[in-house]
Amino acid sequence: MSLTIESSRFGHLEIDPESVLEFPEGLIGLGGSRYALISEGPDAPFAWLQSLEDPSLSLPVTNPHRFFADFAVEVVDEDAERLGLDAASAMDVYVTVRAAPSLEDFTANLKAPILVRAGQAWQVINQAPGCELRVPLFSGTQANGGTAAG
Amino acid sequence: MLRISRRAGERIMLGDDVVIEVLEVRGQTVRIGIDAPRAIPVYREEIWLEVKRENQAAAEAAAAGDLPKLPAAGPRGGPTPPR
Repeated sequence: MSLTIESSRFGHLEIDPESVLEFPEGLIGLGGSRYALISEGPDAPFAWLQSLEDPSLSLPVTNPHRFFADFAVEVVDEDAERLGLDAASAMDVYVTVRAAPSLEDFTANLKAPILVRAGQAWQVINQAPGCELRVPLFSGTQANGGTAAG
Repeated sequence: MLRISRRAGERIMLGDDVVIEVLEVRGQTVRIGIDAPRAIPVYREEIWLEVKRENQAAAEAAAAGDLPKLPAAGPRGGPTPPR
């Protein structure tokens, strides 16, 4: 079963069913429950969440571990329970990226990471210290985890 | 907006499943307990709002198209599943 959309950013897109993520709770404040995770490959620094319901909605995301060596996600017990998180459950983590005309102004939202497991995704509130809403991705002061740890 | 006065220890039901309890009133601060089904996420409004704005800003900044250095993950070769 193939799925195609006319994305504002990418034009005609064939969506690999494997790349579809269901957000049972939506992205916070944006609504919408189905997105495709579009990536160039394992080595590409950024990927995109393309809404399958709104062709004009796409957000750049990245793997926070790639930029912030000691990035961690801590959620409140209620979230952990709701998502069925435990030590054994491995989840992929993405954070949204706010782009800017110059690289130094790119920021990542470490406060509300997106956890992915088996085709489902949740945006959660990260309780880990120093994980702020807008953390420079490429800071002049070597954004190598130090920024995230705060 | 519905306005209801409650004392500490009193509750409000939202439908059959969500219970809001006033736990304590002390000066300007009210402590509230919320009992909701697991499927319902609960946020402090200011945090929900700032994340919502950041999500929108991320989408808008990308849509603005001024991404000279953001490596474009184009459709060429088709989307690939996450690794």
